[in-house]
Amino acid sequence: MYPIISLSVTGLLTLFLGFSENKKIVFPASIAFLLIALATAFIDWNAPGFYFNDMLQVNNTSIVFWAILIISAILIMGFSEGFERFEFAQPAEYFAIVQFSLVGAIMMVSFKNLIMLFLGIEILSVAMYVLTGADKRNIRGNEAALKYFLMGAFATGILLFGMAMFYGATGTFNIGSGVFIGGDNSFFLWIGCTFMLIGMLFKVAAAPFHLWTPDVYEGAPTIFTAYMSTIVKTAGFVALFKVLSTTFSGLQDFWWIMIAVLVTLSLMIGNIGAVSQNSFKRLMAYSSISHAGFMLLALLGDHENALGSIMFYSVVYTLATISAFGVLMVVSKERIEKGRVYEQNDLFKGLAQNNGFLATVLIIAMLSLAGIPLTGGFWGKFFVFRDAASSGLFWVIIMAVLMSAIAIYYYFKPVLLSMSKKTSLESITINPLAKFIFAITTFGTIVLGIFPWILRSLF
Amino acid sequence: METLETIKNLTMTQWSFYAVSVLTLFGALGTILSKNPIHSVIYLIMTFFSLSAHYVLLNAQFLAAVNIVVYAGAIMVLFLFVVMFLNIKDEAPELDNNKIVIGASIVGGTIGVILVAAIRLTESQKIDPSTYQIKTGFIETLGQLLYSKYLLPFELVSVLFLIAMSGAVMLGRKEKGERNF
Amino acid sequence: MSLIALIPLFPLIGFLINGLGYKKIPKAIVAPVGIGAALLSFITTVLVYFQFKADGQTIIQPLFDWITVGGLNISFAFQIDQLSIIMLFIITGVGTLIHLYSKGYMSHDEGYGKFFAYLNLFLFSMLLLVMGANYLIMFIGWEGVGLCSYLLIGFWNKRSDFGDAARKAFIMNRVGDLGFLIGIFLIIRQFGTLEYLSVFEQAQGLEMGNISIMFITFCLFIGAMGKSAQIPLFTWLPDAMAGPTPVSALIHAATMVTSGIYMVVRSNVLYTLSPDTLEFIAWIGTLTALLAASIALFQNDIKKVLAYSTVSQLGYMFIGLGVMAYTSGFFHVITHAFFKALLFLGAGSVIHAMSDEQDISKMGGLWSKIKITAATFLIGTIAISGLPPFAGFFSKDEILAHVFEHNKAMWALAMVGSFMTAFYMFRLFFLTFTGKFRGTKEQEDHLHESPSSMTIPLIVLAGLSIVGGFIGFPEIFHLPHALADFLSPLYDGSRAVNPEFGLVHLSHSTEWMLMGFSVLLAAVALGVAWFIYVKKETQPADPSQLGGIKKVLADKYYLDEAYQIAFVKPVEKASQFFYSTIDKKAIDRVVEGTGDLTSLLNRLSTKLQTGSTGFYILVMSIAVAAILILNMGTEIADQFFSIFNAQTK
Repeated sequence: MYPIISLSVTGLLTLFLGFSENKKIVFPASIAFLLIALATAFIDWNAPGFYFNDMLQVNNTSIVFWAILIISAILIMGFSEGFERFEFAQPAEYFAIVQFSLVGAIMMVSFKNLIMLFLGIEILSVAMYVLTGADKRNIRGNEAALKYFLMGAFATGILLFGMAMFYGATGTFNIGSGVFIGGDNSFFLWIGCTFMLIGMLFKVAAAPFHLWTPDVYEGAPTIFTAYMSTIVKTAGFVALFKVLSTTFSGLQDFWWIMIAVLVTLSLMIGNIGAVSQNSFKRLMAYSSISHAGFMLLALLGDHENALGSIMFYSVVYTLATISAFGVLMVVSKERIEKGRVYEQNDLFKGLAQNNGFLATVLIIAMLSLAGIPLTGGFWGKFFVFRDAASSGLFWVIIMAVLMSAIAIYYYFKPVLLSMSKKTSLESITINPLAKFIFAITTFGTIVLGIFPWILRSLF
Repeated sequence: METLETIKNLTMTQWSFYAVSVLTLFGALGTILSKNPIHSVIYLIMTFFSLSAHYVLLNAQFLAAVNIVVYAGAIMVLFLFVVMFLNIKDEAPELDNNKIVIGASIVGGTIGVILVAAIRLTESQKIDPSTYQIKTGFIETLGQLLYSKYLLPFELVSVLFLIAMSGAVMLGRKEKGERNF
Repeated sequence: MSLIALIPLFPLIGFLINGLGYKKIPKAIVAPVGIGAALLSFITTVLVYFQFKADGQTIIQPLFDWITVGGLNISFAFQIDQLSIIMLFIITGVGTLIHLYSKGYMSHDEGYGKFFAYLNLFLFSMLLLVMGANYLIMFIGWEGVGLCSYLLIGFWNKRSDFGDAARKAFIMNRVGDLGFLIGIFLIIRQFGTLEYLSVFEQAQGLEMGNISIMFITFCLFIGAMGKSAQIPLFTWLPDAMAGPTPVSALIHAATMVTSGIYMVVRSNVLYTLSPDTLEFIAWIGTLTALLAASIALFQNDIKKVLAYSTVSQLGYMFIGLGVMAYTSGFFHVITHAFFKALLFLGAGSVIHAMSDEQDISKMGGLWSKIKITAATFLIGTIAISGLPPFAGFFSKDEILAHVFEHNKAMWALAMVGSFMTAFYMFRLFFLTFTGKFRGTKEQEDHLHESPSSMTIPLIVLAGLSIVGGFIGFPEIFHLPHALADFLSPLYDGSRAVNPEFGLVHLSHSTEWMLMGFSVLLAAVALGVAWFIYVKKETQPADPSQLGGIKKVLADKYYLDEAYQIAFVKPVEKASQFFYSTIDKKAIDRVVEGTGDLTSLLNRLSTKLQTGSTGFYILVMSIAVAAILILNMGTEIADQFFSIFNAQTK
């Protein structure tokens, strides 16, 4: 509850900070605001309850997710240091929108009423549309923003229609106020369930609702691509889980086949599509589709473990993704070709020779994304497979394992490039804050790879 | 003959419902089929008006009024302005790709058939006129709900609007430098 | 953090410093760091010992929850009890001495820092092995010491045959490790846990001769066969002498190779439950002891003799375990650690003095040149031969007494082996230190005693070899058997499952007789060796000129060749077949096919990515329609048909 208030207020404050002459203050102030929000998140620790007529549900699980979301945002925002150097940038607006968007994300992980879910999704999405087009001079960014907006609006329509149908069938917006298994209104309920799921699956980029992903990821400024692929995904999956495990848990026979088919599709399209990508961001976009498939797998298992698996998976995925995009940002900062930032895979050529630290960070991130043992990614996949195995869906698991094998191929592309030799090296400067963030994400990936129970034992 | 008999026995409300529904569909089809964007916008305004009529039929007067004021009034006028400013009349893209049109019709038709079938197969709940609260849908009832039960979402909508607003300002502000492709 | 966790931490830190700083930190710091890590561990062990002695209870020190899969919960915990504390003393004590020795021995080597890093890593793994509170930590240590052994055998990796020896050791150990791992899985299946305490507690409720316990113990013993070099997995140990001599002393004599015995003693409840496995172990031990001792008779390489001697002594330890004399077997581990480390270090000192010459046919008459080495080596020789009152006498005699009670034929064979042991050890001693020098002039001029960092460990170990046996006096001496009393709580479980456990039926006169007989045999062996090699001054023959049985022995029964024909060749043939036929013709096709299929699908999936928003939305709508049909198509059709049918009727 408190982080919502805190972030709304500090978001406003950040907007006002934009009036000040000294733009340098906005960045540290925003980080401080996010830290305050993080601190307020723990006020309700061990004090579970419902707020505002059952609009919000707060318990330790949701607080853990708040913390994950806010910490991810801090880690990503850390890369925007020096942003205000550009005369045309408007740092106050960016940081304010980031804080507001977190309000949406927090609503998505702790809603109790579908209206809150809808609002949360909209707040996060509208913020994302704006941030995607944040680099106004980049016409690809503009295109991506418009595309994202149009398709997002379409998905929102579907979601809203689903919620309306759901209301028609049950007469309530509260989730978990009863388990519905059909009856006279079963068609309404089924349509509602299907459309709501479709709307949410669009947001987490599960195939076949993934088409926006590669274009938008590529067009958006890298820092917001990172934001999109971590925070939106984490919040989206928790929201999906909440809906599926409470209201729709009685309908499992109805939706599991659909989710199973979408898992297979996401894994196939994500992994196979990534193989031929030359742009690192497009590669990561397809990778994000395939990870959506892996996380959906957890939803197919029994609900006891699923949330823990989703939490673990999103944390390791977030850490690795921040590392990967962070390295891309640092390395590509110096490389601007034809007015655009150069973001092809071969940007990493000779990185190990050039800057061993960055190469290590990149390699560990890629290994974790590929799910190699001793990185967190391995355990993430392990838990998800275990959950799916508990529901006996072996054909999906076999598919997933095959696809992870393909994944190794394309994740190793940047790794091998970074190990290769190159004659001319340009110097790469990393500021201390970025170094610190890399240290956290890389260390976290390895620690979670060796001692996964540190995190898994939370719930 | 049976159909004719049914039409004869329609009540006043049912008559208006069907009339308004035909208008709505006509407006919606006109919006997507007309090649002139200005015509499209006007068709859309028509759709909004007839939708508002539906709201009235459903005893939601406030919603009907808001729909007309905000959508038909403000937003559509803005649309018209933009369309006229940009003067895209001449370069309206032809829907030259017939495949997509055909595909879209088939897909839309399929979804429509499924939804209609599903709704037809569901027993709809009838409202009992004797216990019906006449105030349902009035601004008073709505206001009370918004400020009691739905207070939090109501307040948080402002965050959404704030994002939309500052986002629009941010994207709309002119920026120095070259455009890059 | 408690003291206990510090014990393995020091070597780990030492490893990290020397390993990460390899080539960067100066040589002067390397040795103090390495030795200091071992010494600090030893001091901590002493402190922990007093802590343990104060309340006498088994200490379990959990560090963190490690793996939780389903109902299985494995914590990362250390266990300090009688068994692990003795092992800790051996590992850190002998380890410290050998670290110290390495300072002098390796001083001219360019891989100085690397060597100390590996040694520390070995110490760390070995400490994990003995301190772990469950089988999984033991397994980690088990694998860790295997890795260090591999790294250290192939330490001088410029010579390819050393590399081959390292690989041989690693592969043979892997065979054993597989058995060990299967054993662990069986334990999980049987008991649902890997923690020693709860496994042994549950095991006490089982019947003697339980079939699944037999499989478990058997599989675990396969692991021990590999690690502790028993038939048929022993041929790697003699080859492992390719590594630097301190490594042979520490890893391949005193510590790592005894981990198999440690494991059996640790799991004594399980083994007591399974007499069949014990019988098997006893016979494997007997055969190994005899076979290795006979091979050692005519070896001319000083380290090879000691290596076969180690294999043979390990065989004796397993005989002891096999006849349920766990204490005796473990007693021999302790004394063997002292005198075998001493002998290896002494051999190292000789090799050092002889300018890296290992062939005893080129030595002779070294007594006067390197007195300290010679004297300590003599002590070690006497100790291993089983002459009283040195350490080897007590432990070996105890084992033999138990064997006599168990099986007379086995006892006879063990006695033969014991005779051979005394003979080849004195042969080695006489050929090396007495008579005339047979080497080159250069070597003779270069002869010198080793530096003090090498002789001090020798002297300390010699002292321990003399007095080490006094911790376990035989009953007939009417002195306390300190070791047996100390270890006694370990066997509570065994006593519970087998009431016969630990009872001795031998009369005192029999025991006196046995003892006298074995001393007599050793003395005869000494005399024979003296007669042949000192009195008659027989020169050690070149192996190629030997004939008959001697040739068979010198060529190690052609076991390596037999393994080559029985295992290596068929595997090579099979691998050739798999490579040329199955791999090239079948698997490659499949792999290439998969690649082609992937790129085909890839083209299809990227074709969707046209960039046109309208098209995207169309695809999404198609998906929506498809999902709706998937989800509800059948129901809708069903309902319509039922309505339709109702109307037509």
